[in-house]
Amino acid sequence: MNGEKHIISILVSNKPGVLSRVSGVFGRLGYNIKSLCVAETADPEISRITLVSRANFDFTEKTKKQLDKLVDVIEVTELMSSESIERELVLIGINMDEEQKPEITRAIDMFGCSIIFMKSNYCILEVVGDKDKTETVINYLKPLGIKEINRTGIIAL
Amino acid sequence: MEKTGAEILLQTLEEEGVEIIFGYPGANTLPVNDGLLTNPIRHYLMRHEQAAAHAADGYARVTGKVGVCLSTSGPGATNLVTGIATAFMDSTPLIALTGQVPTSFLGSDAFQETDVIGITMPITKHSFLVRNEKDMRSTIKQAFELAKSGRPGPVLVDLPKDVLAAKCRDREERDIRPPMKQNNGIKKDHEQLEKIAMALNRAERPVIIIGGGVKLGNACIEMTELVEKGQIPFVSTMMGIGSVHTSNGYNLGFIGTHGFEAANRITHQSDFILAAGTRFSDRSTSDVDEFAPLATIAQIDIDPTSIGKNIKTDIPLIGEIREILTNLLPLVKKKSRTGWLNRIHTEKQNLEREIPFNGCGQPGRFIGMVQEAMPEATTAVTDVGLNQIWTVRSWKTRIPRGLVTSGGLGTMGFSLPAAIGAKTGTPDREVVAFAGDGGFYMNIQELATINYYKIPVKIVVFNNGHLGMLRQMQDLFYGSRFSNIELGNGVDMVAVARGFGISADRISVEKPEAGIEQMSKTDGPYLLEVMVDPEDYVFPIIPPGRSNMEMIYGKSD
Repeated sequence: MNGEKHIISILVSNKPGVLSRVSGVFGRLGYNIKSLCVAETADPEISRITLVSRANFDFTEKTKKQLDKLVDVIEVTELMSSESIERELVLIGINMDEEQKPEITRAIDMFGCSIIFMKSNYCILEVVGDKDKTETVINYLKPLGIKEINRTGIIAL
Repeated sequence: MEKTGAEILLQTLEEEGVEIIFGYPGANTLPVNDGLLTNPIRHYLMRHEQAAAHAADGYARVTGKVGVCLSTSGPGATNLVTGIATAFMDSTPLIALTGQVPTSFLGSDAFQETDVIGITMPITKHSFLVRNEKDMRSTIKQAFELAKSGRPGPVLVDLPKDVLAAKCRDREERDIRPPMKQNNGIKKDHEQLEKIAMALNRAERPVIIIGGGVKLGNACIEMTELVEKGQIPFVSTMMGIGSVHTSNGYNLGFIGTHGFEAANRITHQSDFILAAGTRFSDRSTSDVDEFAPLATIAQIDIDPTSIGKNIKTDIPLIGEIREILTNLLPLVKKKSRTGWLNRIHTEKQNLEREIPFNGCGQPGRFIGMVQEAMPEATTAVTDVGLNQIWTVRSWKTRIPRGLVTSGGLGTMGFSLPAAIGAKTGTPDREVVAFAGDGGFYMNIQELATINYYKIPVKIVVFNNGHLGMLRQMQDLFYGSRFSNIELGNGVDMVAVARGFGISADRISVEKPEAGIEQMSKTDGPYLLEVMVDPEDYVFPIIPPGRSNMEMIYGKSD
C-alpha cells in the first residue's frame, strides 16, 4: 500500500471491547493496520495502543477526530520519527548447522542479538531495536533460511 | 435497603426523567417487566421491536428528551438494529435497553443469545454491558449523559438476566467513570467567531444553510434572530426544515437532490455560506465538486468529524450552536443587500413553474388541504419515498419540531411507529403520519398497538400500487424498464384497517374534501387511503451523481 508510515499512540480505558472499537475506526476508514501493540501502562486502568499504518494525506486528521469520538479513548498522539524513540522485538527461529554457524554467529556479534533457545541444530534469536535494525537483521538472515518469525510491531515513546 | 438490578434500572430511568418506554418483552427481560408493575414509567407494548425503536426515536424527536426502547436478547435485540441505525444517522438521543442471557452463558451460543454490542458497534454512539448489579445505576446515568451530550445519538445497554435479578444494597453501588479525556470540553474560539462575523458582514450574496443540528441544539430562536437581524436569506437541509418557520420571508426552501429550485440556484450563486449544524450529506450537496463554487464556507458544528468531511470548509468553528449564535448575533451588522434580495425574490417567483403545488401535483395539493383542516399544533411524520418528498415540500412547518422524517438512513416503515412515539410524547398535538403503500406495510402491525392503546393518530397512506420513488427512477433513468416495484392493488387496505379496529376510508387524491373532513373530525385514530396515479411523481429532481444545478423537470428533460 502506498503512502507514508504513521505511528499512532492511543491511551485508552483498559476494558474489554475497546481494542475492537479502535480497530473498527481504521477498518471503516479503509486503512490497513500494519502492526499493533497494546499493553497496560503504569496505571492499570489505562492501556496504550501503539499502531502503525501506511496511508496517504489526511490520515492523521481523519483518524484522530474519529478516535477522539470514542468514549474509551483518552488521548491520541501521532509519533513523529524525529521526535520519538521506537523499538521492536523480533524472535527468529533458524537452523544452526555447522555450515550456517559462522554466519549466524557473525550476525549475533554484529547486531547484538541473543540466542535465547538452542536444541539440536535449531536456535531462536532475539533482536531488539528500531525498525532499521530489525529489518537489517531479518534481511541478513533470510538467505540462511528463517524457519519461523514473530514480531511485536513497533512501540514508541 | 436491598434492590434488584432491575429495580435499580427502573429507578435510575425515573431519575433521568423517563416517563415512557416502548418495548417488547422476552424471557431475559422478565425481571424488568416485573419491576414495571410497581413503577410509574409507562411501557407501551409494540408489535415489533423495530417499531419500539422507531417509536422511541419519534418520541425523542418531538420532545427533545431521550427516547427509551426495551427489547429482549437474541431476535429482540437484532430487531432493534434498523431502528438504532435510523436514530444514529439523524443523531437522535436514544437509549436501547436489551435483555441478555445470564453472564455465565455469555459466549456459549445460548438460547436467544447474540452479541448485540458487536452488531451495533458501528451504529451506536457507545454501548455498555452491565456485568454487575453494583454498576447498574452509574452505567445508566452515563448512558443518558452520552446519548444527550455533544452530538446526540443512540446508546445501547446490554442487561444480562442474572444481573437484573441480583440483589444489591444501596451502599454497595459503585461509581464507574472512564478516565477523563485530555481535551475535555470544547475550547471557546472567539477569534474564529469574529472571522465568521467579518466574512458575513463583508459578503454581498450570503446564504445560511440550516441543518438538523440547529433543532437538536435548541437554537431555533437564536437562528431566527440571526436571519432577521442580518437580513440573510436561508435554505435548509431536509433535517433542518422548520427550525425557522417555513413561512419566514427569507426562506428559500431546502436544498439538494429533491430540494427546491430556488434554494439550489441561490446557494450556487452565493459568495458566502454559513452552514450551521449540517454535515453536508450527499443528499444536500449532490456533486461536491460543483457545490457552491463561488462561496467562502463557514461551518459551525459540535462534532469535529463533520467539519470539512465532505466539503472543504474555509472557516470552521467547533462548538455548541446556541452559544455560538448568541455570541455571533451582536457582531452581525445590518446590511442592505437589495440587489441580492431582489434576485432572490425573482428566483422565488420561478418556484411557481409548470408543475403546480411545489412540483408535487395533486398529492401536494392534498397535503396542503390536510394541513388546512388540522389545527396549527399538528406534527407531520413522514415515511420514505415519494410520500416523504411530497410532504417535506408541501407541509408548512409552523411549530418547533413539527416535522419528523428519516433523512439520514431513509427507513421505510418509519412513519407509523414514529407517529405513535410522537403522539405519546406530545399528547396535546395532533399527529399525522404520511406514508406510501410500501412503507405502510412494513410496520402495519402497529395498527394493533394504536387500537389497543387508543392512540388517536391520523394516518394518510398514498396508495399508487407501487414503490413510487423507485418507479420514478426506473422511468427516468432506466428507460422505463420497471422491475420489482409493483405492489398491486389486491389488498383492501380499508378493510384491513377496520379489521384492526381503526376507522378508515378510501378516497381519490382528486376529490379528497369529504375524506379529509371526516379524518379531522374523528376523535380517535383514523386511516385515510388516498388513491394516487402511479405516474404522479415529484419534480424537480437531480439525477444521481449530478450537481445541484442539474435539476430535471420531467421525463423529457
